[in-house]
Amino acid sequence: MSEVTIYIDGQEYRVPANTNLVDVAKFYADNDIPVFCYHPKMAPVGMCRMCLVKMGSVEKNRETGEVVTDENGNPKIRWFPKLQTACTQTVYDGLAIITNSEEVQVARDDIIEFILTSHPLDCPICDKGGECPLQNLTMRHGPGQSVFYYEDKMHLDKHVPLGELIYLDRERCIQCARCTRFCDELVGDDVLAFHERGRRLQIVTISDPPFDTKFSGNTTDICPVGALTTADFRFGARPWELKEVPSLDPYGPEGANISLSTRLDRDAGGRIVIKRVMPRQNEYVNEIWISDKTRFGHHHTRSDERLTKPLIRQNGQLAEASWEEAYQVITDRLRAAKSLGVIAGPNQSNEDLWELKQLASHVENHHLGVFPATMSGGDIVNTVGVGVGTNFLDLKKGDVIVVVASDLEEEAPIWYLRTKVARDRGVKLVLLNARPTKLSKYAKYNLTYAYGDAVSAINSLISAVIGAGKINDEILSRVDGYDELAKSVKKPAYTNFTEAAEAIGDAQNMIVLAGSEGLTLAQQRELMQACANLLIVTGHVGRPNNGLIPVWHGANIQGAYDLGFTAEATEAIYQESLDVVLVAGCNPVGEVVEAEALQNANFVVVTSLFETETTAIADVVLPRQSFAERDGTFTSGERRVQRFYTAQGVIGESLPDWRIFAEIHYRLGGPKPKLSAGAVMAEINKAVPSYAEMRYKKLAEMPRQFPDVGGEDLYYGGTAYQNRGGIGQQTPTVAEDPEARLSVRPVEAMTPKFDGLVVIPTTLLYDRGVLFRRSTLMHQRIPAPHIVINPEDAEAQGITDGDTVAIVVEGHRYEVQVKIDKTLPRGAVLMPRRLSNRPDPSVPTVLESIEKIVQPVPVTEG
Amino acid sequence: MLQDEKYQEQIQRIFAKYPDKRSAVMPLLYLAQEAYGWLPEEALDEVAELCDIDPTQVKSIAGFYTMYRETPKGKYWLQVCTDLPCALRGADQFYEELKAYLEVEEGGTTEDGLFTVEHVMCLAACDRAPMLQCNFHYMENLDMDKMRAWIEERRAEAREKEQKS
Amino acid sequence: MGIINGLLTTIKYALQSPVTIQYPEEERVVRERYKGKHVLRRYDNGLERCIGCSLCAAACPADAIWVEAAENTDDERYSPGERYAKTYEINMLRCIFCGYCEDACPTEAIVLEHEYQLSFTDRRDAIYTKDMLIVPVPEGGLPTPQKVEPGTFDRAIPDMEDPK
Repeated sequence: MSEVTIYIDGQEYRVPANTNLVDVAKFYADNDIPVFCYHPKMAPVGMCRMCLVKMGSVEKNRETGEVVTDENGNPKIRWFPKLQTACTQTVYDGLAIITNSEEVQVARDDIIEFILTSHPLDCPICDKGGECPLQNLTMRHGPGQSVFYYEDKMHLDKHVPLGELIYLDRERCIQCARCTRFCDELVGDDVLAFHERGRRLQIVTISDPPFDTKFSGNTTDICPVGALTTADFRFGARPWELKEVPSLDPYGPEGANISLSTRLDRDAGGRIVIKRVMPRQNEYVNEIWISDKTRFGHHHTRSDERLTKPLIRQNGQLAEASWEEAYQVITDRLRAAKSLGVIAGPNQSNEDLWELKQLASHVENHHLGVFPATMSGGDIVNTVGVGVGTNFLDLKKGDVIVVVASDLEEEAPIWYLRTKVARDRGVKLVLLNARPTKLSKYAKYNLTYAYGDAVSAINSLISAVIGAGKINDEILSRVDGYDELAKSVKKPAYTNFTEAAEAIGDAQNMIVLAGSEGLTLAQQRELMQACANLLIVTGHVGRPNNGLIPVWHGANIQGAYDLGFTAEATEAIYQESLDVVLVAGCNPVGEVVEAEALQNANFVVVTSLFETETTAIADVVLPRQSFAERDGTFTSGERRVQRFYTAQGVIGESLPDWRIFAEIHYRLGGPKPKLSAGAVMAEINKAVPSYAEMRYKKLAEMPRQFPDVGGEDLYYGGTAYQNRGGIGQQTPTVAEDPEARLSVRPVEAMTPKFDGLVVIPTTLLYDRGVLFRRSTLMHQRIPAPHIVINPEDAEAQGITDGDTVAIVVEGHRYEVQVKIDKTLPRGAVLMPRRLSNRPDPSVPTVLESIEKIVQPVPVTEG
Repeated sequence: MLQDEKYQEQIQRIFAKYPDKRSAVMPLLYLAQEAYGWLPEEALDEVAELCDIDPTQVKSIAGFYTMYRETPKGKYWLQVCTDLPCALRGADQFYEELKAYLEVEEGGTTEDGLFTVEHVMCLAACDRAPMLQCNFHYMENLDMDKMRAWIEERRAEAREKEQKS
Repeated sequence: MGIINGLLTTIKYALQSPVTIQYPEEERVVRERYKGKHVLRRYDNGLERCIGCSLCAAACPADAIWVEAAENTDDERYSPGERYAKTYEINMLRCIFCGYCEDACPTEAIVLEHEYQLSFTDRRDAIYTKDMLIVPVPEGGLPTPQKVEPGTFDRAIPDMEDPK
């Protein structure tokens, strides 16, 4: 990046060109130019006028371009006549500013005085009080006395719910427009806007449901005053009472960095509990954004329904027992076990998985399964995954992001946000899906295929790339199997992909996000290979900002694949009747119909936070700890291994999973259990080559990030953004080794032929999963069990929007509501997972019957 | 209401003027205001649907411009200019008398629902003050006698219409 | 000679009235500015002054105060404005009676009064809860929570005098 010279308060600095003056002054000169409306993640607007500085340019000799100096050798500066807003200024060579003169100080004092004419200063009852930029700047610049009449203060509504999650205090709003710009510019949901003007200007939403965006909580973070507060934290604690603990999103594959604000709580029996969840800055992962699911979905950690003691089945009933008794029962049974199936849940940490694997190896005939078993190809990700150092923010104009078979907003909202913002910077978005999703309106190329036919679509894209002559010849020298691949895609199923293929061929960087919507596990694996083929032949592997990102359905599915767990094994566990099954931290019986087969196992051990349908069939149930009570590591879809830390006290006698498995293994003759998760990781470092460098100390390394958002000084108004837990490390891919051979292979679509309507399981962000449904605040956002159907299909079935119908899929009956969507292709019936209290089909399945019923659907509670 | 057949041609004419749909939001709001008399939330929703933008954005536009009304108003919307040049010609007194005659407060609507009175900034007809704007049409060189006569005429019309129906 | 001086002193004091009092039958009257046990005050209409801001707890050098806040509604109103103290506890064993809490309070809710007879037989008893600290409802006032007209008490801070 080219550099320019600027002068701040007479001091000379070399800074990167094309950066914002405010960011640069903060980062390089440690000079806090006060701001309210400016935020480094959004385009500057210069509304609040708080950042006024004296600005000028150095004089340069017109012939030589040399800086003209005065008699003391200092550069001669031509000052602009009036103060200028620093936030709207991009740095250029020779820019000079003065921030400490009396003129500037007076201007700032005046702006604060003016802003306060419409602000109630009710800091004692304000949730932002103590971490409020306006409060801090008032302390720094506030005049103490005002020339304005106190009686003239603006009085507006103090309690305006913007939906059930966010409350607005109109009086406190200083009209910086950060929230409206966040919704509009970044997320693309224009659901907040200004109404009226002048001092009566106020934020409104009339969307339905109100404030309808999956990122609404972020507006409370970036609000520089206490105008926006969350229903979750409202009056929950004063900021100075909170202890911030670095942690990770337990739900999504993005590995969003969060900070858990914890405090003692009388209602929780005097325990330390999570009072709120805040984002933690990690420019590589989630920048400073988190979804509302991450923010408000933490209540399961302190639910009263948490399991507190081991349970052993006696006379058909689960009865409380001691850990020793439970270990005894399990070890006795495992010693005699003929076969063992292990199903690891989506938020088992790497340490848990490792100890689980060690334990499973005790039984010779064992399967290591992962849940949910919707996606495959972890090994492919380790070959052609995104290069180390990948950052969506580095994607530039002309680069390409391909999203295939995924509704990114629902499945991975952070990637949705980053993709959408990248697109706004000029990145071309190629969307391949069987139906339009929310991302469609931002896509440069919307390529549609028939459900189940994603592989053909990618093959057609490869065919078009070859046809356009855009194959990367350089890389072909290290690729095996190209000729067969080229031959196999000669006759593309879709012929209109040429333009998209050209964009892909011309792109300097390309990231492919591959999902699983409408695909069976085998098809999905082929899709991953197809994506790998595309990435390899176009040369988009083995470099940062290039490669494959799998849209896993869980926080640590990547880690599970890295340590040898697979979705195929899960299917095998369902199909073979195994002697002993160990289910770690998930609820397959309650979520997928295939898992009913687990009942046939002779002995079932389950580790769980709650009683579930799976614990109901278990012989031994062991209380595990949630992510908040323990430490460990998750590996994100971008293969970034990151640490989370212990935030709250232990509930009951629960133990971390790794510890449970290690104790059982020890009693079976294994090594003595390690004392900490870090020690387990040290073992993984030794045993797993790609994790050799993932040492706890290294994962906790914290380089300085630009722009310097948040931290103690609350500079940009972010509250707990400062990252103290480390930014993690990505595991290297095979493709990054220039010597490594890369192989492509032809893949077939295997598109099945269905007669009639096909139920396509989809994933929604808000569902009634075991953990998320404990957050009662979010219940209004979780839709009732429903199907989505094309209007023509609906008409043919004699049903209309809002009807309640009974559908039968593979002999299972579901009562669901009907939603009509005219954009949906004919023949497909979308059925979102985990909305009802019954297990759902996990793969596309023929709809056996659909029948209208009169009585309303009972909505599942809690 | 904008879905009604009679508005379709007008809507198409408005859309034809602009390169993209969202640019048509302001003329459509005027149309909706004409149809509903003011801009209730359903009108905003309809305009949003037509322009393919979020209703909140439409509300924002309706809120920013003072010539869109978001509260119900009378059939005749009387906007009296009381800026300095008009005031010098007696507009402020005229405005007070008008309010007193109609027995309404600033921005209020008469009980019969016929008249809404408010004061506005310069309407660029200072030489013909006192003047007002009634449903975007100017009435100039006014005095209270003229005004009383005009108001009673409108009231008589309304009574007549009511009797007929 | 020395012994006489000593005796004179003794006689002088023997003739004075004693400085000790017959506590507990008799109680000493303290000075106006004496800092004794805290009370949480109310407005004349019975609403609590405390808004649960926790500034007293922040100011407390002994970490003796614990406040948890909750939200008022017009149906169940404890204090003016949106916020009230759901939990208010002072650990009298920790308290050093410095009065910083009084200084920090934005609504003059907490005041150190003249009560000084604090004794406990159990450490737990030293934690005074809100019920023990709050003053009785004044004459003409109503006990909290009150049901009030919407919009009557929507501001906590700016008007320090009794809400109308």
